Amino acid sequence: MKSIVISSAIVALLVLSGCGDKDPKVDDSGIDSSVSQEVVQDPSTQEAVQTETVSSSEAEVMSDVASQETETQAMMRVEKELLSIYFDFDKFNVRSDMQGNLSTDADIAKTKAKDFSIKLEGNCDEWGSDEYNFALGLKRSNTVKMALVAEGVDASRITMVSFGESNPVCSDKTRECWAKNRRVDFKLLP
Amino acid sequence: MKIIISFLITITFMFASDATIEVIKKVDSLPSLAIEDASTSYDDTFRNRFFKSLVADLNVLSIFNVERAHRKVNYDASSVLVENKDMNYVLRYKLSEDDSRALNLELKLISQEKIIFNKNYKVNNTNVYMFVSHTIAYDINKFMGEAPVEWMKRKVIFSRMVDPQKSELVIADYTLTYQHVVVKGGFNIFPKWANKEQTAFYYSSLDEKVPTLKYVDIKTGKSSVIKSSDGMMICSDVNDDGSKLLLTMAPQGQPDIYLYDVKTKSTKKLTTFGGIDVGAQFLGSDSIVFVSDRLGYPNIFSKNLSTGSVEQMVYYGKSNAACSVFGQYIVYKARESSESFGDNTFNLHLISMGTDFIRRLTAVGVNEFPRFSVDGDAIIFIKNYKSQSSIGIIRVNHNKNYLFPLKYGKVQSMDW
Repeated sequence: MKSIVISSAIVALLVLSGCGDKDPKVDDSGIDSSVSQEVVQDPSTQEAVQTETVSSSEAEVMSDVASQETETQAMMRVEKELLSIYFDFDKFNVRSDMQGNLSTDADIAKTKAKDFSIKLEGNCDEWGSDEYNFALGLKRSNTVKMALVAEGVDASRITMVSFGESNPVCSDKTRECWAKNRRVDFKLLP
Repeated sequence: MKIIISFLITITFMFASDATIEVIKKVDSLPSLAIEDASTSYDDTFRNRFFKSLVADLNVLSIFNVERAHRKVNYDASSVLVENKDMNYVLRYKLSEDDSRALNLELKLISQEKIIFNKNYKVNNTNVYMFVSHTIAYDINKFMGEAPVEWMKRKVIFSRMVDPQKSELVIADYTLTYQHVVVKGGFNIFPKWANKEQTAFYYSSLDEKVPTLKYVDIKTGKSSVIKSSDGMMICSDVNDDGSKLLLTMAPQGQPDIYLYDVKTKSTKKLTTFGGIDVGAQFLGSDSIVFVSDRLGYPNIFSKNLSTGSVEQMVYYGKSNAACSVFGQYIVYKARESSESFGDNTFNLHLISMGTDFIRRLTAVGVNEFPRFSVDGDAIIFIKNYKSQSSIGIIRVNHNKNYLFPLKYGKVQSMDW
C-alpha cells in the first residue's frame, strides 16, 4: 500500500515537474519580446535615433494627405449628420414628425455643408417597379427640395434623383422595413 | 325579321371575339399531340433539355393537349409508336450535329399516319437551341391556321436588380432559358427596344450625376447618350418606325411626358399637370395613354394630342399605376389592397375600349409591368410572389397563363 502511495506521489511529482519545465519557456519568450518592446518604447532611445529629418519631410506629405482626407472626411461627416426624411405609404407630403429632421437638415445645408452640392435621393418601398413608383420617389425628393429652398437653401445647389424601389436599406418583409425604405436620403457632392 | 336575326348574329360574333370575355373549359376539346424524339447526336441531358423546351413551347401555343412522355423512335419508322396510336397529332424530330458542329433538326408532323407538315432547321450555335424550339412552335401554330405568335421568336430585354443600386441588363428568349447580359455593372434600368427588328435599345442610367438616357446598338456594341434630365429620365415607348419616343422627364422636379423626335433631337412637352404624369404609350397616330394621379390616385388616362382633351380610361381599381395598349384593349395593373404595413396584391386587368367588360387576368402576388406583344396576341408581365421573381405570359384569347421563374435577382422592368 505504502509503495503504491509513494510511487503515485513520484509520478505526480514527475508530471507536475514536467509541466513546470514547459511553462517557463513560454514565459521567457514573453519576457524577451516585452523587453524589446520596452526598448522601442523608451522615449530617450527614440530621440537618440536620427528621426527628426525623416519626420520633417514625412510631415509635409502626411499633412497634405491628412488635409485631403479631412476634406472628404468632413464632407462624409457632415453627410452623416443629415437626417433622412421618411414618408407615409403612397404619399409625398412631409409628415409633421419629420419637420424637425427637415429643419436640422436645412440648418446643416446652410452652415456646415454650405460648400457642397446636395443630391436628394428619393426612395420607395417594394410595392411596384414601374415609372409611377419612381415618380413618387422623385416627388418626395422634390418636396424636400422645396422645404429646403423655403428655409433659404440655394436651389441651384440641389439635384434630385429617384431610385424607386431599387435602393432598399432593408429587405425584410416587415412593417419597420417598408417604413425605412420610404425615404429621401441626402448625399453631398464636392 | 331577317334583319333582326342578322343583327343579332352580328352582335353575337362581335362579342364572341372580345378578349375580355373569358373562355372556360376549352382544354377538354383540344386535340392531343405527342412528340417522338429520333435524335442521333448529343447526350441524353441535351436531348432531354431540347424535348422539354419543345413541350413547353407547344403547350404555350394553347392549341394542343401535349403529351409529356419523352419517347424515342427511329426517324424513318413507317408508323407512330404504339403508345401514340390514339393521338390526333404526332410530332417527330431528329437532332443531329454536322461536321461544322451546327445543330440540324429534321421535323415531321404526322396525323392519321400521314405526314402533313415537314421542315428542316439549322442553327450554328448549340447554345441557342431554344430559338429552334420556339421557331418550330411558331411554324406548327401557323400551319394549324391559328393567329400568329410572332412574339415567340422575339427577344425580351429586362433589367435585373442584383443589389441595391446595382443592376444588369439582360437579353433573353421569352422563357428566360437563353440569357445574355448586355450591360453589366452600374445602375441601369428601364430598357426599351429601339426598333421592331430589336437591333438596338434605350435604357436609363442612374450612374451619372443626373439620370441619363442611353442608346445601344447591339450589332456594333456602341453606346451613345441621348438626353439627360434631373430627377427622372425614362423612355416609356417607341413608335412603330422608331422615329419618335415618349419620355418621362422631370427637369424641374416635376415628372411629365415629353415627345422626342429621334431625327431632329427636339422635345415637346405633352403634359402640364402639377402632379405625376408618367408611363406614356402611343395610341394611334395622335393620342397617348398614360398614368396620372390627377384624381388623387394613380389611374389610366388618354390625351388627344391634336385637341389636348384628356379622358379617364379606367373606372375600376383604387390604384392603377401601369398599363399597356393594343388596338382597343388596355391591360393595366391595379392595387387590390392598400396595406401600409402588410402584403399587397396587385392584379392585371384587361378592358376593352369598345365594350364595358373588365377581365381580371391574375389572382395572387404582385403582378406588374404588363406589355402587349407586337401582335397583341399575348401579354408579358412581371410577377413577384413569395420572394420569387418571374416573367409571365398570358395568352389572352386562350385564357392561359405561363410563368418562367428567374434564377436570381429581381426583374425591375422589361420590354419585348
